[in-house]
Amino acid sequence: MTQDRSEILQGTLDLMVLKTLQAMGPLHGYGIARRIEQISEEALRINQGTIYASLVRLIQRGWITGAWGTSDNNRRAKFYSITKSGRKQLDAEARNWERIAGVIGRVLGIAAHG
Amino acid sequence: MFAGFKAFASRIRGWISPRRGSEEFDSELSTHLEMLTSENLARGMSQEEAGRAARIRLGAFSQLREINHDLRGLPMLETFLQDIRFAFRGLRRNPGFSAIAILTLALGIGANAAIFSVVYAVLLKPLPYANASELFTIFQSRPQDGIPVNGWSYLNYEDLREHNDVFVDVAGTQQHQLTLTGHGEPTVAKTSIITPNLFSVCGIPPLAGRAFTEDDGKKGAPPVVILSEGLWRSQFGADPNILGTQIDLDKKPFTVVGIMPGYFRYPVLSETDQLWIPVVDDPLFSAFMPFRSGHWLTLVGRLKAGVSIAQAKTELAAISARQAQQFPDVNAGWTSNMSPLQQMFTRNVKSALLVLLGAVGLVLLIACVNIANLLLTRATSRSRELAVRAALGAGKWRIARQLLNETAVLGLAGGILGIVLAYWGVHALAVLLPPSALPHVNAIRVDKVVLGFALLLSLLASIAFGIAPALFAASANVAGSLREGGARSGEGAGSRRARKVLATLEIAIAMVLLVSAGLLIRSFGRLLSVDPGFTSEHVLKMQVSFPRFEYPKPIQWANFSADLLRRVQAQPGLENTAIGLPMPIVDGNVNLGFDIVGRPSLSKAATQTADYMSVSPEFFHVLGIPLLAGRVFTNDDVMSAPRVMIISKALAQTYFPNENPIGQQMTGFGIPPDPGTPRVIVGIVGDIRDISLGQPPTPMMYAPYAQSPLWGAQIVTKSALTPAAIVAAVQQQAAEIDKDLPVSNVGAMDVGLEDSVAQPRFRTFLLGLFAALALVLAATGIFGVISYSVSCRTNEIGIRVALGASRGTILRMILRETFTLAFFGLLIGLPCALAIAHLLGSLLFGISANDPLTLLIVAVVLAAVAVFAGLTPARRAMRVDPLVALRHE
Repeated sequence: MTQDRSEILQGTLDLMVLKTLQAMGPLHGYGIARRIEQISEEALRINQGTIYASLVRLIQRGWITGAWGTSDNNRRAKFYSITKSGRKQLDAEARNWERIAGVIGRVLGIAAHG
Repeated sequence: MFAGFKAFASRIRGWISPRRGSEEFDSELSTHLEMLTSENLARGMSQEEAGRAARIRLGAFSQLREINHDLRGLPMLETFLQDIRFAFRGLRRNPGFSAIAILTLALGIGANAAIFSVVYAVLLKPLPYANASELFTIFQSRPQDGIPVNGWSYLNYEDLREHNDVFVDVAGTQQHQLTLTGHGEPTVAKTSIITPNLFSVCGIPPLAGRAFTEDDGKKGAPPVVILSEGLWRSQFGADPNILGTQIDLDKKPFTVVGIMPGYFRYPVLSETDQLWIPVVDDPLFSAFMPFRSGHWLTLVGRLKAGVSIAQAKTELAAISARQAQQFPDVNAGWTSNMSPLQQMFTRNVKSALLVLLGAVGLVLLIACVNIANLLLTRATSRSRELAVRAALGAGKWRIARQLLNETAVLGLAGGILGIVLAYWGVHALAVLLPPSALPHVNAIRVDKVVLGFALLLSLLASIAFGIAPALFAASANVAGSLREGGARSGEGAGSRRARKVLATLEIAIAMVLLVSAGLLIRSFGRLLSVDPGFTSEHVLKMQVSFPRFEYPKPIQWANFSADLLRRVQAQPGLENTAIGLPMPIVDGNVNLGFDIVGRPSLSKAATQTADYMSVSPEFFHVLGIPLLAGRVFTNDDVMSAPRVMIISKALAQTYFPNENPIGQQMTGFGIPPDPGTPRVIVGIVGDIRDISLGQPPTPMMYAPYAQSPLWGAQIVTKSALTPAAIVAAVQQQAAEIDKDLPVSNVGAMDVGLEDSVAQPRFRTFLLGLFAALALVLAATGIFGVISYSVSCRTNEIGIRVALGASRGTILRMILRETFTLAFFGLLIGLPCALAIAHLLGSLLFGISANDPLTLLIVAVVLAAVAVFAGLTPARRAMRVDPLVALRHE
């Protein structure tokens, strides 16, 4: 079942974007993509464009907002930040994720914690 | 949920102003690209290399834009609208195809909607009473003597009403005609004589005034009447002050206490102009009330909530058993039963209607198959267009969806036109149907239920005929289609086979319809050619009713009739006039039990019965019923002379198989005015069919009218004069005796006989029509398939001709193809047709469901039509010029 490219599910990418924005504060699309790649230690080499589909979905659900600003090197960029309902959603999703990870871990015989 | 809603709202905003979103998105992407590029530059790449790597890293711009667009807008809606636009464009581009497809479908949908409107109004729509499903007719029967449904005596009814735990209440009715005088011309009022609780059992309150009370039904109560809204309007000019006034019925004053709303009719099949009186006020039936014998009251009961039908039936059986035990001389052998009120009135027409609905469904199926074939042909000739679309990036399902949308537009257009046709068809049906042929004919119309049905049907139909072409398109090989190029781009063998299977199916379905129609037509022919045993041409019957309160004694009826008959016979052209009641077929039959004197009296459980008529001496001559033995009545057979009787051949053969009946004595029970008196048999006459043309002759007994007059004088005349002139003459003669006597129930016997077969004629005509439609559609289908096959094989044919095949060979080759289709169609159709024909069962008359002649004719006709349909394309194939055909390549 191993594949060269890690196939990330849509929902998973959304979740990672939310987590990144929660941890890092407002970021532009490039920043988010870089951060996710770094955190995953370059294991996830995503087509960076796909980040934008995720951003649109999250904005439409009201979990993040976007505003135009200026980047470090003086470029006009759109900065995204997580909203209150986004944080709530993240909490819920994270708990859910842990639960599923735990279940899968048990099923596969891997100790989820420790 | 809320987040989902927000997302949808944002999508709508995005769809409304797409430009803003896409410009922002573009600038966002270029920023991203710049950032990636500078990162790459920082890693030491060249400018050019850094830009290229950045673009790869970000992904294709156009694709990202597409995703963004889809996410922000309403892509489903957009593609849908686009498809609809495509669909209309496609249909306009091919007006011939579109017109044929829409028209075919409209015919199918229209016919279905029209028949469904009849089925809905007759079988499904609840009767116009409160909670009509709780209402049941309660009847007595005597199955061992073949009496399935009969009424109740008043005393048995009272007993049932008071001593049962299953019905809320039970009401009784009977029909009668009374003479309404004092308001212009004397008229005959259709009267329902009822127990006072009828309106409360039906749960319908009066429009004005009050319903009857229990007191109205007591002996000696002042006579009261309730009018129908229709009668109130037509006869009394909607007089607002009518309540409390008096009207004269049979010369007796009745007080009007109420008016029932126009939608209320009881009995279910009664006229809209009628009136209701309590049984106790009726001059005729009130006399039967004190007796436990007789079966004249028709009952309707409302079942208590929570009581099952089985429970109620058990209780009815128990009540009958008790009544039989208490009064064995009148009740032995009788049992009681019930059935839903609606069912009572639809029983006779249900199977015919379902057969028609099935038939019209098959017609629609053939129409769908035809359109599917057309669409397949079109999809094949469009395969290049579709291949180009696919090459430009349209997904397979996108193309399939586009085709399905096209067919949906087609289906909807056909459906709408079909509804228009249905409106027209329903009017045509109403003209075709006499009111007596179906329960509540006037309720048949295209209402919203029928509209819904038609729309649903057109949608289903468009899916049915759209699915095959769409599937073929979805699985088409793009590269192949493009490479094959030109207009001759092939259709796969699969699609061609599918086309042939469809055509074969059409022939099979058409065969089922044709066989059914053929059987019904032959049945109807047999029914029409039945000899009823009497002549009906130029025979007119009319009734002169007289007020029973003024003419209470039977001898008065007899004298009046004799007087009237003599006067009418004296008129020029009316010499052939007689009195006869009730007239066979048109008036319904009166069945009475009888005993033969000198034989053991009939046991209580097994009755010998015969139908009864009261006639004047001239009757047999006027109606052309032959005298077989003895004599007919004479003017000497009067009240004071010995009682005599004439019997029919069937009665003589059944009950006097080895002896001469003439001179023997019979007692007919219930023959007025002296039911128990034995009568000497003086003659035997030929058989007549008095119940219906479809039923074999019943044993008949005739009594002289002078000795046993019935209510009203029914004049029967065979005359060359016009009906209007005859009625005027009789009216004038009647008025000279008594100016208040209306002439009513005028009817030509031949028209009456025709009306009696209105229902079989209706279904035969419709099924014939549907079968013809199916035949035409199937022929069109075969024509289409063979034509297409020829055009695909032009090349091959050219080669064959070039290699020396004669024109005859080519013609035979194509005709063989046609014939194979027809052969397999018939092969599949035959067992289906036989199976369906057996379902027709009760609708057939004098013919077996596997009538070989019908099957043979249908098979020959279908094969001939198929070959004929294939002839034109075959001739085209024959004329193929090999040079042209080969150059075509």
